[in-house]
Amino acid sequence: MEFNFAVITDHWRFLASGVGVTLLLALLSGVTSLTLGFGIALLRLYGPRWLRPLIVFYVDSMRAIPVLVVLVWTFFALPLVAGITMPPFFAALLGLTLHLAAYAAEIVRAGIESVRPGQTRAARALGMSPAQILRRIVLPQAVVRMLPAFGSLLSVTIKDTAIASVIAVTEFMRQSETVAGQSFQPIEVYTFAMLVYFVILYPVTRGVESVYRRVAHLGRS
Amino acid sequence: MTFDWSVVWQHRDVLAQATGTTVLLTIATMLIAVPCGIVVAVLRLYAWKPVGVLATAYVELFRNLPLILVVYWAFYVLPILTGIGLSPLATGLTALALNVTAYNAETFRAGINSIRRGQTEAAMALGMSRAQALRRVVVPQALRRILPVLASTWVSLFKDTSLVSVIAVSELAYVAMQIRAQTYRVLEMLTAMALIYWLLGYPQAKLVDWMQRRFAVTE
Repeated sequence: MEFNFAVITDHWRFLASGVGVTLLLALLSGVTSLTLGFGIALLRLYGPRWLRPLIVFYVDSMRAIPVLVVLVWTFFALPLVAGITMPPFFAALLGLTLHLAAYAAEIVRAGIESVRPGQTRAARALGMSPAQILRRIVLPQAVVRMLPAFGSLLSVTIKDTAIASVIAVTEFMRQSETVAGQSFQPIEVYTFAMLVYFVILYPVTRGVESVYRRVAHLGRS
Repeated sequence: MTFDWSVVWQHRDVLAQATGTTVLLTIATMLIAVPCGIVVAVLRLYAWKPVGVLATAYVELFRNLPLILVVYWAFYVLPILTGIGLSPLATGLTALALNVTAYNAETFRAGINSIRRGQTEAAMALGMSRAQALRRVVVPQALRRILPVLASTWVSLFKDTSLVSVIAVSELAYVAMQIRAQTYRVLEMLTAMALIYWLLGYPQAKLVDWMQRRFAVTE
């Protein structure tokens, strides 16, 4: 058996553009799902009572449906209902955000609920408004405690962008498939792809752990 | 735009069969990945150092790869490396098992490590052997922490089986998308597919929540 890794160097520009799209998609969907997740969690905890069952239903549904299904549905079926067409990249961004925001919301909720209620009561007794309590007492501790979970969500996000290859987003997985198919050298290409994803993901997992170890004391109470 | 939902009913037999494959794939993967996960975790914790390092490398590698890539890799590379031609189903099963074993190994390791060392030391001071201490003291407590995590891995796995559709395993996602391609009833078939996953996955997600409350450990 002979391996010829020249196929990688021949197509490096094409593959590198895929890595770029992967990182961009991961970054954007990370930011949007985090923002949306925060909003959803705050609404669930402090919003009107009638909204709560709806939010629980949304969150649990997203935990029950595969990302692949969400992505395929957003790309192929949503345009038929909504009458709009989206480029694959935006469909992927929308689908990933819808899916990951549910997980982010659960993390935010667990973080906020982990701050003992005695602290909220004490702050109220000191005359703070609910918004002040959230901003000055609850969130500073809660956010630190959410960090490890957000770290693993970030690595899940990067891994999930690979599924966007199914709806033809030209991210790294898709580009690798194309190169593997055209060059008839799937072994070299997919093994290289494994290496690239590992090199991207491993520092993320490790980096978050070491950052958390440094700030963990801020979350204690 | 008009929708024709009868297409879903017409294909009910195929869809039911595909759903069955999805469920079977989940069960089979877990049946492989739990014992293998235990073995890898034990190797990491107690085996001769170089073996432990290899086990750690395996776990770290597969936890840091997108599953869809592992599926492609297993499909193209495994037959050439091993010389065995596997069916798509067996290939998908291999890829899923490789992935879930890594996650399970980490779950078991963390579960065992979460029981304070003092307990093993106390058991050994009472004259138990290391194996006895592990079996009688550590494992029964670790199980309470491991079970809820295994349950949520189960739900993830159930959803992840949809990824083997890319190598034409006739499970739910693949079959639904095939019917979509043949009948052009895109919205109907994709919605039906999402609904079937939802119907099966929703109770499972709820069950995991319940287990997490039920088995919560407070030290």
